[in-house]
Amino acid sequence: MKWDWQVSKSQPWFRIGFRELLNYKDLILRFSRRDLIASYQQTLIGPFWLILQPVLTTVTYVIIFSNVVKISTNGVPPLLFYLPGIITWNYFSECLSSTMNTFQYNGHIFGKVYFPRLVVPISQVITSSFRMLIQFSIFVIIYASYQAYNGPLHLNYGIVWLPVAWFLAAGFALSLGLMISVATAKYRDLDSVMQFVLRLLMFAVPVIYSSTIVPAALRPYFWLNPLTPAIELVRFGFFGTPEVALSSTLIAVGIVALLCIAGVIIFKRNEVRVMDTL
Amino acid sequence: MLWWKKKDQGEALSADAYFWALKDVSFEIKRGDVVGIIGKNGAGKSTLLKIISRVVLPTSGIVRGNGRVASLLEVGTGFHPELTGRENIYLNGNILGLNKREIGSRFDEIVAFSEIGAFLDTPVKRYSSGMYVRLAFSIAIHMDPDILILDEVLSVGDVDFQKKCLRKIGEITKTTEQTIIFVSHNVQSVRTLCNQALYLEKGKLIAHGDTESVVSKYLLREHVYVPAQRYEAAGIAPGNDIIRIREVELLAEGRNVDGAISADDELSLVFSFWNISEVSLHVMASIVLVDFIGECVFSVHSECIRMQRGLARGECIIPSGFLRDGSYVVHLFFARNDHETLFEFRQCVSFEIKSQHRVPAFISKWQSPISPAFPIILTQPD
Repeated sequence: MKWDWQVSKSQPWFRIGFRELLNYKDLILRFSRRDLIASYQQTLIGPFWLILQPVLTTVTYVIIFSNVVKISTNGVPPLLFYLPGIITWNYFSECLSSTMNTFQYNGHIFGKVYFPRLVVPISQVITSSFRMLIQFSIFVIIYASYQAYNGPLHLNYGIVWLPVAWFLAAGFALSLGLMISVATAKYRDLDSVMQFVLRLLMFAVPVIYSSTIVPAALRPYFWLNPLTPAIELVRFGFFGTPEVALSSTLIAVGIVALLCIAGVIIFKRNEVRVMDTL
Repeated sequence: MLWWKKKDQGEALSADAYFWALKDVSFEIKRGDVVGIIGKNGAGKSTLLKIISRVVLPTSGIVRGNGRVASLLEVGTGFHPELTGRENIYLNGNILGLNKREIGSRFDEIVAFSEIGAFLDTPVKRYSSGMYVRLAFSIAIHMDPDILILDEVLSVGDVDFQKKCLRKIGEITKTTEQTIIFVSHNVQSVRTLCNQALYLEKGKLIAHGDTESVVSKYLLREHVYVPAQRYEAAGIAPGNDIIRIREVELLAEGRNVDGAISADDELSLVFSFWNISEVSLHVMASIVLVDFIGECVFSVHSECIRMQRGLARGECIIPSGFLRDGSYVVHLFFARNDHETLFEFRQCVSFEIKSQHRVPAFISKWQSPISPAFPIILTQPD
């Protein structure tokens, strides 16, 4: 007799269940919708915070890092230089922090209903992507008005790499989040550890500086971080500087793809088992 | 913390450090079966449902199945307080495995059943707890899965809504091929709805089979007392094509029984039943009282009466002080024309007698369940 489903301790090593995930696509979108609607209920400025936050951060950075510390922005207007970096970094950090607590935050649902657990982190990434796109469109508006009043800014063919940049940021965050979520299910203090690590990690990523000022000896390692090409690809598309080597981009894509596969496998292997440790 | 791991492992994990929530539980449920899982708290009922629902993994063993499973281990799983009733219907429906189109086609029915009407677009955090439960339950009950798993969810909500839900489940079991597995502490609802029952005790499967025999085994073993059974409509009541039981109730001193009954109380067993056939019956009722080992204590029967289609009532009074301490079960039998058994309603009522009176120690080995008030008169000639 053929059985539709089976519950047992041993699960096949490699079973991602794409078909099953596809059956739950409505749930993925529903979770994203829920998070977006719910986060703006009973708030004072609601979705405007989404725009205000990166803009205020950028203004602060312009004052501190450009005017006080005087870090070079390769001749790009500081306001425009920092904004895409901050948006991309925020995108990464929001994707990571929302996915790395998947089990802890959804334990009450996971303990009651079965659905592919991957639904939750994927919907978190979609939610973050939606927010990022809104922020990014603000950047585009500011960019366009700058271009109109202050002359050309070297917009070039490089913007076709934008989806790749976003894939790098989101994929890197998702894969790390999937792996870490298995651990945070058991060790609750990992959450604060990760928040701390994230804050430090920002300095290892070209958010407040350009990759061109990194010492040559460190550069190969610096470019191994998928977030470096993620941010620099955006800047290159809009400002024509700095150059991003195709090889670094491809290596980063490869790294992220491998990490994603590993993350999904680790997550799937543990998705039901961790429920015992919650 | 990882830090502590070494220390923990130092304390030997001996075999008896494990607690088996379920052990050696094997059974098969067929399509269309309505299975009630009964057992005391901690018997492993919820664990079993969780394993079938794929929410936890078994340490060993396999569950295999066909068809879409919807499990309702809790009402309103994933409800978001900030979202409106409408949004939550879609959210909860998606979580339970329906897609948008499927929810859309059930939407009006869900809203109508939940009776939330005008509050559909109000955030559910403003709902009363009753409305919340009604909405959540309506979604679940309109899921139409192949296998529906219900864990004690019927015990929430007000009595009227519970009845409505039970009726709806009753309808589902009659009109569809849906398999339902449900846990309930309420033996009556298991009896009403299920054609099969599983009885778990301390993680072991004690009995599996037709509801009546499993339920009576449960009542006997666990000493669960059922002082009354009542059925709203003849359609769901126990019985056959000729008669159906409307209610059986034990009253002590005219009051509802709650807990043990004092031996000094006068007991009355009240019952009523329908004649649902077109013909008039020559019917008599008989009451058999057995103790919990199954030994007959006494049996009595009524006169034969001629009964038209409709409702008839019976009452039997057991005088105070007649029964000694112990647990008792009542069987109610109906016969036609003095000899032909019409219907046997076994184990319909059970109860416990407990009193302060002590039987003198010297005759305690001759203790009988009854103590008729036949006086012994002692006299001493002068």
